[in-house]
Amino acid sequence: MNNRDLLRGLLLMVIALFFGLQSLRYPLGRIDSAGPGMFPLMISCFLFILALATLIGTFFSERTPLFFSLKNIGLIIGSLVAFALVSEFVNMIVGIIVMVFMASLAGASYSWIRNLQIAAGLVAIAVAFQKLLGLQLPLY
Amino acid sequence: MEILHNLAFGFSHALTLENLMFCAIGCVVGTLVGLLPGLGPLATISLLLPLTYSIPTGGALIMLAGIYYGAQYGDSVSAITMKIPHASSIVACIDGYQMTLKNKTGLALFTAGVSSFIGGTVALVVLAVFAPLLGRVALMFGPTEYCALMLLGFVCVSFVTTGSLLNGLAMCFVGVLLGQVGTDVNSGALRFTMGMHLLDDGIGLVSIALGCFGIAEITKNLDNKEERSPFRGKIHLMPTWPEFKRIIPSALRGSAIGSALGILPGGGPVIAQFAAYALDKKVSKYKHEIGQGAIEGVAGQAAADEAAARTSFIPLMSIGIPENAVMALMMAAFIIKGIQPGPNMIPDHPDLFWGLVASMWVGNVFLVTLNVPLVRYWLSVFKIPYSVLFPAILFFCCIGTYSVNNNLSDIFSTAFFGLVGYCFLRVELDPAPLMLGFILGPMLEENFRRALLISHGDFTTFISRPISGTLISIIGVFFLWQLVAFLIDIRKPADRRAIAQPHPETDAAA
Repeated sequence: MNNRDLLRGLLLMVIALFFGLQSLRYPLGRIDSAGPGMFPLMISCFLFILALATLIGTFFSERTPLFFSLKNIGLIIGSLVAFALVSEFVNMIVGIIVMVFMASLAGASYSWIRNLQIAAGLVAIAVAFQKLLGLQLPLY
Repeated sequence: MEILHNLAFGFSHALTLENLMFCAIGCVVGTLVGLLPGLGPLATISLLLPLTYSIPTGGALIMLAGIYYGAQYGDSVSAITMKIPHASSIVACIDGYQMTLKNKTGLALFTAGVSSFIGGTVALVVLAVFAPLLGRVALMFGPTEYCALMLLGFVCVSFVTTGSLLNGLAMCFVGVLLGQVGTDVNSGALRFTMGMHLLDDGIGLVSIALGCFGIAEITKNLDNKEERSPFRGKIHLMPTWPEFKRIIPSALRGSAIGSALGILPGGGPVIAQFAAYALDKKVSKYKHEIGQGAIEGVAGQAAADEAAARTSFIPLMSIGIPENAVMALMMAAFIIKGIQPGPNMIPDHPDLFWGLVASMWVGNVFLVTLNVPLVRYWLSVFKIPYSVLFPAILFFCCIGTYSVNNNLSDIFSTAFFGLVGYCFLRVELDPAPLMLGFILGPMLEENFRRALLISHGDFTTFISRPISGTLISIIGVFFLWQLVAFLIDIRKPADRRAIAQPHPETDAAA
C-alpha cells in the first residue's frame, strides 16, 4: 500500500466522490437552466476520470514509497489549534507563548531561553500591530 | 504620444508620498520574502491581504504588486549566493552559483540586479502598450470565450507548474470544487456546508492560501531538517567594462522572451527563465561557457524572470482572467477593494491602472538599489536560524487568518488546510493550480451557466464560436500530445526508460 502514486489516485477519487455524491442531493435543473447541483457534479465527474487515469497510470510506473512524518505536521497543526483555543478562553499573549513552545518541539534544536525570547519578540510585534495598525487583537 | 501622456498621469499618482511609501514597503517585504525559504509570494500576499482593508485602494495594489515582483529580485540573490532554489529561481542556481564558486559572487549579483532592471523596464513598455489594446479585444468576449479561456489557463498552468497535466488539472478541479462551498449565487442554495455556519460564505481564501503555502511549506522544511550556513564570501560588485557589455544583449533577449511568455496563459516567471536560458544557450556569443558560470546564463534568465512577473498583469487587468496562482490572488485583492478586473477596468479606473504601471518602474528603482549596493546587508538575514524563523512565520499566519474577520475559529480552517496541503505535498500534488481553480471556480460556473442559457443548452456553442473553438482545440491538442507521450513511454522497456529520464540534479549540473 505504501505507493505514493496509488495513494494520490485514491485521495483524488475520495475527493471526487465526496463532492459528487453530495451534489446529487441538490436540484440539478436542466442543461439550459442549471440548478445548484449541476456544475459541481460535472466537475466531480471530470475529477473522477482524472483520478481513474492516475490509478491506471500506477500500473505502468515504478513504485515510489510515500514519505509521511506525522510528528512535525501534528505539532504544527496542534500549535495552531492550541493558539486559537487559548486565545479564545484565556488571552492571546498566553496563546502566543503556548504556540511558540509547542511548535518549536518540531525544530532541529530546542532551547527554553530562545523560546522565551521568540515569544517575547512576537508579543511585542502583536502589541505593535494592535496599537499602530489598529488590529483588533484580544491580547489581554 | 498618448502613452507618454498616460504614463505621466500614472507617475503623478505613483509619486505621491503615500504611494511611494507603499511601494517601498512592498519592495522591501518582497525582497525579504524572496530571500527566505518557506514563505513565497503567494503566502505573503495572502498574509497581507487582511492588512490592506484599511489602506486606500491604489496604495494597497501598489504594495501587493511590489511584493510579487520584489520577490523575483530577492530569490535570485539567495539562489546565487547559497543555491537555495525557490519556485522561480531554479535557473539562477545553475550559472549564478557556479559564479559564486569562482569567487565572482559580486559580478553575478550585479548582473542579476541590472538585468532584472532592464527586464522590468522593457516589460513596462509592453504593459503600457498592450494592456489597453488587449482590453479592447476582450470586449468582444462572451461567456463561452471566458469559459474556454479559463479552461486553457487551467491546462497551461497545470502543465507548466507541475509538469504533469494529470496532477495539475486534478488540483485545478479540486480547487474549483472547494470554491463551490457556500451559498450558490444563482439559487441561494447552501452547498457542501455540512451544516457548519462557518462555511455559509464559502471557505476563506486566506485560510486556504496560508494552509497550503504557509503551514505545509514550514512542515516540509522542518521534515528536511536543513540548517543553512550563511554566505561568508567577499562581494566585489563593480564589473569591468567588457563584462558590463556582455550583460546587455543577453538581458535584452531575456526581456523580450519574458515579456512575451508573461502574457500567455499559464506563463509567468518560471517558464520564462527556462526559455531565456535555453535561448542564450543557443544563440549567445559565449554559449560554450553557459553552465559553468557565464554572465549570460545569469543575465538572460534574470531579465526574463522580472519581465514575465510584470507582463503577467496584462491578462488580469485587460481580460480579467488571472493566468497563474499569484495573479489569481491579486485578482482577489482587486475584488476586495471593489474593482472588477477586466476590459472595463482601464477606462473606468485609469488612475489605478496607470498608477500601478508607473509604480512598477518606481519599484524597479527601489529594488535595484536594495539588491545591488545594499545586498550585503540582506545576506545577514540568513544568520537567523530556521528554528527562530518558523515560529514567527506561524505567528504571522495566525494573525493574518484572524484579522480577516476578527474570528479565532478561522484559524481552525487554516490548520485544516495546512494538514490537507501537507498531504497534497506528500503525494506530489502542487497546491498552486488549486489556488487558481479556487479563485476562478465561481467565475467559471457563472460563465458556464450563462453560456448554456444563451445557447439554450447546446454544448456545440463552445466549439462553433471562432475564438472559443480555437482555444478548445488547443486544449484538445494538448491532451492528445500527453496521451501519445504516455503511450510511447510505456512501450519502452523499463531499462531504457531509466536512461530517458536522467536524474534532475545531474541534468542541471550538466
